Formats: sequence, C-alpha cells, structure tokens
Amino acid sequence: MTGAGFFRAAGVLAAKDLSIEWRTREGLSAMVLFSLIVLVVFSFAFDLATIKQLGPARLVPGILWTTLAFAGVVGFTRSFQVEARRDSMTALLLAPVDRGALFAGKSLSNLVQLLLLEVVVVPLSAIFFGYDLFAILWPMSVVVFLHTFGLAEMGTLLGAVAAKVGRGEALLSTLLFPVTMPLFISAVKCTNAVLDGKELSSVSNWLLIAVGFDLLFLFVGLLTFEYVVEE
Amino acid sequence: MTSGQSKGTLALTGLVLIAMFVAIWMVFQYVPNERVMGPVQRIFYFHVPAAMITFLSVFLLMASSITYLWTRNKRWDRISLASTEIGLMFCTLVLITGPIWAKAAWGVWWTWEARLTTTLILWLLLAGCLMVRGYAQNQDLGARLASVLGIIAALDVVIVYKAVHWWRGQHPIVFKSGEKNPLAPEMYTTFMYCIGVFMALFLLMMILRVAVLSLEERTQALAERRTGELS
Repeated sequence: MTGAGFFRAAGVLAAKDLSIEWRTREGLSAMVLFSLIVLVVFSFAFDLATIKQLGPARLVPGILWTTLAFAGVVGFTRSFQVEARRDSMTALLLAPVDRGALFAGKSLSNLVQLLLLEVVVVPLSAIFFGYDLFAILWPMSVVVFLHTFGLAEMGTLLGAVAAKVGRGEALLSTLLFPVTMPLFISAVKCTNAVLDGKELSSVSNWLLIAVGFDLLFLFVGLLTFEYVVEE
Repeated sequence: MTSGQSKGTLALTGLVLIAMFVAIWMVFQYVPNERVMGPVQRIFYFHVPAAMITFLSVFLLMASSITYLWTRNKRWDRISLASTEIGLMFCTLVLITGPIWAKAAWGVWWTWEARLTTTLILWLLLAGCLMVRGYAQNQDLGARLASVLGIIAALDVVIVYKAVHWWRGQHPIVFKSGEKNPLAPEMYTTFMYCIGVFMALFLLMMILRVAVLSLEERTQALAERRTGELS
C-alpha cells in the first residue's frame, strides 16, 4: 500500500466518523455534559476556602486532566459502539486498506472530538476556577494538544481491545489509566507551569516525555491494531 | 511432559526447596545487622530479588508477546501467560515487602516515590493483561489481545519509570554503577545467593506453569474431539 493511499484511507475513515458525529452529535454532547458534571463535582469536592487557598495553578491541572480523561473514555467507547451497532467493523475490515490506516483514522476522529471537547471544557475551567486563559492561550494550547494526542491514540487502541471483548467503559478505564499515567503526570506538571506563568522551556523534559509517549505509541498502535481487530 | 523431563523438574523442585531454606537461614543467621536500619533491612534479601524477577518477567512477557504475534505459535503464548502470572505474583511480593520495610525505615507504609509508583502501575498493567484474557470469548482472541497489551505494558513501564523519577524520588539506591560496592562481604554473598535462588524459583515456576498450560490445552482438545465423536 502506498503512503498516499494510507493517508487517504485514514482521512476517509476519520471523515466518516466525524460526519456521523456531526449529524447525531450524540458523542460530543454526552462528553461535554459529562465533563460539565465532573467539573461541578470537583468544585464540591474541594470547598471554597481550599480552592481559594490553593489557587488555580495548583488545583486546575489535576481537575482539568481528570475530567478530560474520564470524558475521553466516554468518547472512545462510543467510537467503537458506532461500528458494533450494524456490525460495520466487519465491513471496515473487509476494505482493502492497511489496518494501520484504520487505527490512524479512528485515532484522528477521536483526537478531533477530544479537541472540540477541550475548546469547551478549558474555557469553562477558567470561568469556574478563575484564571486568565487569554494570557496563556498559546502555551496552554500546545500543552493540551500534545497530551490529548497521546490520550486519543491510546484510547483508540485500548478502546478497540475493550470493544473486542464486549466490555465498555469499565474495562477501558482499567486499561487506559495505568498506561497513560506518564502522560497524565506530564500533563499536570506542564499545565501547572503554564498556569504559574512560566515559560514552556521550564518543562521541556516533561514535554519530551509527552512527545516520546505520543510517537512511541503511535508506532505501536499502527503496528498492533491489526492483531486487535482481526477476526 | 515426558518422564525424563518430569524427573528433571522434580529434581529442580527439590533443589529450589533446599536452596530456599538455606536462603532463609542466611538471611536470618548468617548476615550481620545493618548498622543504621537494623534487622528490618534483612527484608532486602527477598525484596530486591523479587523486584528483579518482576522485571525479568516483564521483559520475557514482551519478548514472548512479540514472538507470538509474529509466529502464532501457541508455545509463545503459554510463555507469555506464564510470565504475566509469575510477574504479577512477584510484583505483589514486592508491593508487600516494600511497605513493611518502609514503615520501619521511613515511618510510613506508602509514599508516592518513583519505584513504588512504577511497581504499582506495573501491577495494574499486568492485572489488565490477565483481565482481558479472562473476558475474551475464546483463547486465540485472549492470546492476541493480551500480547498487544503485554507489549504496551513493557514499553510503558520504561516511560512510567522515567516520568515518576522526575516527579519524585527517594528510594534508596544501594548499587550505583562505578562505585565501590558498599556492602559487607556476608551481605554481598547473601544478596547474590538470594538472587540466584529466586532465579531458580522463577525458572521452576515457569517450567511448571507452561507444562500445566500445555496439558490443559491437550485435555481441552481431547474433550472437544470426544464431544465431536459422540454427536
């Protein structure tokens, strides 16, 4: 299979998933509502005095990434439920494309959906926990994108595993959270630095972990996805 | 397993049993007390070898998982399953002996330190591999999914360790490369001896577990043939 064919197949699959999502808006609305609820639960988990005392730089990174990881699980599970409904996964597998392209396409659509979710959730966290998002928009975007990338690809790969054995969110969470732990630590550290007004270069080793994770598991996902989905 | 092989296994079992008693004698009688930590330091002679075996199992898990996906020879999957189980068992031992020592030395049962956290995450990853096998509708699917997870787990542990190391560190490092070995000669002998005994124990468990797995498969195949003949 040629390189161009690979990217085209991945693009077509991602476009298909996203257009289904655009027409139903089921997944994204579920993820947004779920995130909103988690954010509200967190604001109750810490009382007002604690929130004021800790300040957003200490509090928001953990809350934000826990929310995104939970909401991500909802999205990843759905991404394969859509295929299971009319057994369209079988049709996808029959298509004469590289299985890696299926992984790339699914990951891409999951990434886009997570990023759309973040466009809502990150400003919401700024409103709820009181920090100036506009002042740190650029470094915040870099940090959010780099960590969402790894979350999306790992969520896609493990989401396929969970779907394959007919288990949903519970199994996916048990598999996904330990694996993405380095990404999670890095995300919290980087977001913390950004909220503290520090330069991104001060957390360059963490960004390196995130990029390393993203690239390594992109490679692993492309290579192993066929073993997960094969009949 | 032929009778020659089982005689060999029986001999190894006896050898490991005796060697283990000698190890216990050495740990409690032969080695002197550590000057600062006192008798509780003796747990190191079991704790450290157990940790080594855990990581050896993970390495074997990765190697056998890759080979299984490559060759689809069931023998590699048996090794992969056995190393997951044995790894999980030794990992549990590490997580039990560690806090016993930590309570005496650091005054707390648990601390979110680099190696502790890595070991805990590794435990979760290995448990995930076994969980997916349990959920899979058939053995082949379970083997395939567990192999993919095994590869992910082994690669992930390296990143987890790096990440958690930067995040926090306070674990004692007894052996630093390039430094003169700081242990008393009796301690060093006991330590090396215990590593040897644990390696032998690992080998024995591996042989037994793989043999049991292959017997299980044979009985299952026989039972299936029998049902086929009857119907």
